[in-house]
Amino acid sequence: MNILVSYDWLKEYVDLKGLTPEQFAARVSLSGPGVERLYPQGRDLDKIVVGHVLNVDKHPNADKLRIAVVDLGNSKATIVCGGSNLEKDQWVVVAKVGSNVRWHGEGELVELVPAEIRGVKSEGMICAANEIGLFDAFPHQEREILDLGKALPGMKLKPGTPLADALGLSGDTLMDIEVTSNRPDAFSLLGIAREAATILNKKLEWKPAVVRKPKIAKNKNLQVMVSDKKLCPRYMAAKIEGVTVGQSPWWMKRRLLSAGIRPINTAVDITNFVMLELGQPMHVFDAEKLAGNKLNVRKAKAGETMQALDGKTYKLHEDALVIADAEHPQAVAGVMGAETSAVTIGTTSIVLEAASFDPVSIRRTARKLNLYSDAQLRFEKGLSTQALPDAMARAIELITELCGGELTTLQDVQTAKYKAPSYSISFAKIDELIGVPIKKTDAASTLKRLGFAVKTDAKKLTATVPWWRDHDIESGRDLVEEIARVYGYANLPSVFPAGVSKRKTDRELILEQKTRDLVCGAGYTEAFTYSFISKQIAERAGFDTKSMLKLSNPLSADFEFMRTSLLPSMLDVMAENQDRFRDQHLFEIAHAYYTKDKGLPNEQLEMAVGVMGDRAWKEARGLVEHTFDGLGVRNIAWKPLATDPFWHPGRTAQAFDGDRLLATVGEIHPNLASKYKFDGRVALAHVPLENVFDSASDAKLYTPIPTYPVSKRDAAFVVSRDIHVQDMTAALMRASKLIRHVEWFDTYRGKGLPEDKKSVAFHFFIGSDEKTLETSDVDQVMDLVMKEAKNIFNAQPRI
Amino acid sequence: MIEESLRSLLNRARKAVTDAKNMSDIDALDIAFLGRKGELADLMKQMSSAKSEDRPKLGAMANEVKTEIEKLISLKRDSFAMSGLQKQLDQEREDVTEPGIKPAQGHLHLMNHAIRDIEKIFTDAGFVRVRYPEVEWDKYAFENLNMPADHPARDEWETFFVDTPPDAKNGKMILTPHATSGTARILSEKDLPIRAINISKTYRRQIDLTHVPMFHQFDGLIVDKGLNLTHLLGILDYFVKSFFGPDRKVRVRPYHFRFTEPSFEVDISTDSKMGKNGWLELGGAGMLHPNVLKAAGIDPEVYTGLAFGWGVERTYMMREGLHMDDIRTLYKNDLRFLNQF
Repeated sequence: MNILVSYDWLKEYVDLKGLTPEQFAARVSLSGPGVERLYPQGRDLDKIVVGHVLNVDKHPNADKLRIAVVDLGNSKATIVCGGSNLEKDQWVVVAKVGSNVRWHGEGELVELVPAEIRGVKSEGMICAANEIGLFDAFPHQEREILDLGKALPGMKLKPGTPLADALGLSGDTLMDIEVTSNRPDAFSLLGIAREAATILNKKLEWKPAVVRKPKIAKNKNLQVMVSDKKLCPRYMAAKIEGVTVGQSPWWMKRRLLSAGIRPINTAVDITNFVMLELGQPMHVFDAEKLAGNKLNVRKAKAGETMQALDGKTYKLHEDALVIADAEHPQAVAGVMGAETSAVTIGTTSIVLEAASFDPVSIRRTARKLNLYSDAQLRFEKGLSTQALPDAMARAIELITELCGGELTTLQDVQTAKYKAPSYSISFAKIDELIGVPIKKTDAASTLKRLGFAVKTDAKKLTATVPWWRDHDIESGRDLVEEIARVYGYANLPSVFPAGVSKRKTDRELILEQKTRDLVCGAGYTEAFTYSFISKQIAERAGFDTKSMLKLSNPLSADFEFMRTSLLPSMLDVMAENQDRFRDQHLFEIAHAYYTKDKGLPNEQLEMAVGVMGDRAWKEARGLVEHTFDGLGVRNIAWKPLATDPFWHPGRTAQAFDGDRLLATVGEIHPNLASKYKFDGRVALAHVPLENVFDSASDAKLYTPIPTYPVSKRDAAFVVSRDIHVQDMTAALMRASKLIRHVEWFDTYRGKGLPEDKKSVAFHFFIGSDEKTLETSDVDQVMDLVMKEAKNIFNAQPRI
Repeated sequence: MIEESLRSLLNRARKAVTDAKNMSDIDALDIAFLGRKGELADLMKQMSSAKSEDRPKLGAMANEVKTEIEKLISLKRDSFAMSGLQKQLDQEREDVTEPGIKPAQGHLHLMNHAIRDIEKIFTDAGFVRVRYPEVEWDKYAFENLNMPADHPARDEWETFFVDTPPDAKNGKMILTPHATSGTARILSEKDLPIRAINISKTYRRQIDLTHVPMFHQFDGLIVDKGLNLTHLLGILDYFVKSFFGPDRKVRVRPYHFRFTEPSFEVDISTDSKMGKNGWLELGGAGMLHPNVLKAAGIDPEVYTGLAFGWGVERTYMMREGLHMDDIRTLYKNDLRFLNQF
C-alpha cells in the first residue's frame, strides 16, 4: 500500500534539516519503507503569480468580457477577463505569458501566448482554480475566477508573489512511499517520521495532544452501546455542540490535497487529517441527525440498507458490522458513513468517532459490498486499540480550533484491559541470525528509538512492544529484523554457503529435459499453452469437461477447466497458425490433470505432438519412434486404433510395452479436421511420458560387428491390405537364422494391383558368424523367406 | 642409320606431343612411340643389325630418346590434367555467400530456455531441482506458510479455487499462486539439510498487458544449521552475478512476507540494456519464519532456513532486455514468435 507524503509536512514531525528528499529516499528505503518516487511540487505553477486588481472596465466589443488592470508588483498588466465575479481591489491569480494553464479546466496544459481578445490586447490571464489544477482546493462555479482574498482568509498577499510561494508549495516534494501491509502504523505521517527518525538518527518532534475532558459531562445526551464486543473491542465517541462547520483553511486543505484527499468541510477534513497524521481512521456524525441520540455498534439486520457517502445504496448482509442510531445504520463500521448523518456546512453539533474494529470483519464486509475507503484500507490491516485516545484528543483539539463548540460528552467503551506484549531474545541469537556481532547498546538503542521499552541483562534483551506495533511484532525473532534493518543490510558481508544437495534430481525431470532435447533436436518447435482450457476448446476437440477439474472462480470462461489432455490446445494452436504456416511441427510437454475420487488430482506429464503437412501422420509416428529410440524404449508393439471418433480409423496406431500405453499417433478424424477448417493433413501424437519413462532405459546395448560380410537383398511381396508390416517383419525375420535384420522400405498400392492388395518391400540383411556366405547360400535363405511369406501371408513375390 | 632414325623419331615425337590436343591423343602417341609394338621398339629390334662396337652407344642413345619422349608425354599429360581440373574447378565454383542447407531447426519455448538457465546456475551451486503439485492444498500454499485463514496477506495472491469440497485436514483445493507451496512441501519431508530449487507453474487471477494467469516462479531454499543473513546475501549475489553478469550488484530492502522473517525485496543494479541506471526490483527473499519451520515439525532453534524466489518471466526478460508490449504474447503460440528462440 502506498502513501503520498509531503516532505514539507513530514518536517513537522521529524528534524530533517540539511537533508534533501533524494537523500532521505535513498537512505530510508534501505532500512524502512521504500520511497518509490519523488514529485517536486509547484512546478506547474511557474510564471503564475498573485495579482491585485486595480481597475475594471467594460470590454468595448463583448458583454461578458471585461478589462482588468492588475498590479503584478514590478509591473502592471492589462488583462481581458470573462470572470463573473471579477471586481476591483480583488486578489487574483495571474498566469503570465509562458505559463501553462488548462483552458476552462479541461484538456491538456497549454502554454499561454500574448493574445488579442475581441480587439483588445491581453497580457496574460486571470485564472479560475480549475485552470491551474486547484479545483479540489477551491471549488467554484463556472466562469468564476479564483478570489485569493476569500480563498486564503487572513493570509497577507503581495502583488507579484509567485502563487507557489504564496501557497507554500515551492520547495515541497511529494514522496510516494510503499508501506508493507504489516505496518499500518507507518501508513501515516507520524509513522513515517518515526521510521525516519530511527533510521537517520534524528529527533522525533511530536507530542500527542492532551486528552480533554468535558467541563460538565452530559453523557445522557449521547448513548453509546457496543453490542458486538468481539468485532469492536473499543469505541470512543465525543459529542461537541455549538460548532461552526465551514471551509477548511488553506493549511489544512493543502495537507489533505498533498495526500490525495479532497477537502469537504472542516469537520470531515479534521477526521481525514487525523487519519493521515496518526494512521487512525475517524468518523464524524451530525449529532442532530442521530435518532434517539444513540449509537449502537451492532451487526446489520436482515433487509437493512444504507445510502453511503458515495451516494450509492448498499444492501447490508447480516455479518456486516454497523454503527446504528436508534433506528437505522449510520455507518458501515470502519468502511463508510451514511449520507443521512453526514456533517455538512451548517451542522451545529457533531459526534466524533474513534474506534477499533476486527480487521477480518472489515475486510469481508468491504469485499462483499465492493465498497472501499481509506479508513477500511487501514482497519483491515489491524490497528491497535490503544491508538484511539491520541486520535480523539487530536481531533477534539482541531475541532475546537477550527469549529469552536463545546465538548459535552466523551465516552470510551473498552472491553478488555490492555497489556502491552513483551518479548526477549538473547544477544547470542541476534548475532547468530544476523551473522555479524551487533553491539548490545546498538541493539537496545535501535529498539528504543522505535518506541520499544527495553531492558537488558548480560545475556538477553527484553523489549515491550509499543502499542502501534502490537499487530506486527509477534516474537523475539521479530526484534532481530528491527535491529538488522536499522544496522543496514548493506553493511553486512555476503558469504556464499557452499554445499551439495543430499537429494538427487528426480528421474522424471531428467528424462523430461532429455525428451525435450530429442524432439527439439528433430526440428520440432515447442508450444506453451495454458493449463486451463475453456469448455468450448475442449468440446470442439470432442473432450468432455465433466471429468475435468473445474475452477470455482475462473477469470473467464476461457480458463475454466484444468485440462486432461494437451491435444485440444495443440489443435487450437495449429488452427491459429495455419494461415501462415502450412507445414507445422509442434510439440508441448506439460502436465495433464486427472481427477481422483479423493485428494489432489494426478498431475501427469504428457507430450503432445502436432504435425501439419502432406505426410503428417507418418512424420508424427516417426517422431514418436525417434523419441522412443532416444530414450531407450525398446519393447514396443504397435496396434491399430480404428474405433475412436477423434482419430482417423485407418491412420492411427498405439504403441504398447506389454499393457502399458506408450503413445497414440495418428491423423485426426476428417470430421474433426473440418471443425478446425484444416485443409492440409493434420496428425497428432499423445505420449503419456510417465509410462514412456517407465519403459525407458539408459543401458547401452552392443551387438558385435559381423566378422564376415553381410549380403543385402531386397524383395517385394503382394499381400492383402490387411496384413501388417509389423507382423511380416517379425515373421520373415524368423525364416532363417542367417537373417540378421529385416527392414521395411516401401509400400505400394494402385495401378497394376487389385484394390484389396498392396505391395510391401523389405531389405534383408543376411550373414553368418562362421563364414563368408556363397551366393547360393544367400539364395537359399531368400527361398525360405519367399516360402514363409507365401505360407503365412499368402504373399506373391512381386517382380 | 639407326642413329638417324632415333633422331628423327625424337623430332617427330616432339612435334606430335606438342600438337596433341587432348589426353586421348597423348595416350595414342604413348602407344605409337613407346608401346610394346611402337616405333622405338621397332628400332630396338633393328639394333642387332648394327655393328657390335656401335651397339653400346646406340643403346645409350635409344635410352635417352625413350626417357626424353616419356618426359615429354608426362609433361603434356600433366598439363592436360591440370587444365581439365581447372575446368572442373571452375565449373564447380559456386556463390559461397549463399546460405547453407540447415538441418530441420527445432525451437524451445523461451520459458524453457529461461528455466534451464536458472536451473543450471543453481545445480552448479549444489542445489537440486524439485517439483511439486500445481493443484495444491491450502495447507501448503498458505496455512503452513504462516498465513492462517482470513489473513489479509492472502488477498495479495489472487488465488484460483478448485470447485470441490475442502479437505478436513488440508483445507481448500487451489491452484498454487506461488512456488513457495513447494517450500512447504519440501520442509514437510524433513530430509535435512535441504538445498533445493523449485521451479513451478503458478497461477493467479490476473490478466493484462503485464500479467498472465499462468506463469512461472522459482523458489530456492536452504535449510541447515548455522545459516544467517550473510549467507542469504551470498546466494543472492551468486545468482545475480551468474545470471545477469559479474558487474551486477545486488541489494536488499526490508519487506514483508508472512513466511519469512526478516523479509526482503531484492534489487539489482541496472545497465544500459535495461534503459536506465539505478535499481530494478527482482524478487523476494528472507529467512524462513520460525512458524513455517514449526509447521513442518522442524525445530527453529536448531535449523535456519533461507528462502528466495521470483518470477521466471520477468527475470528473464529483464536480463535479455526483451521488451514485450504484451506479456500474453508468451503464451499465444504464434509460430512467428516461437520460431525466434
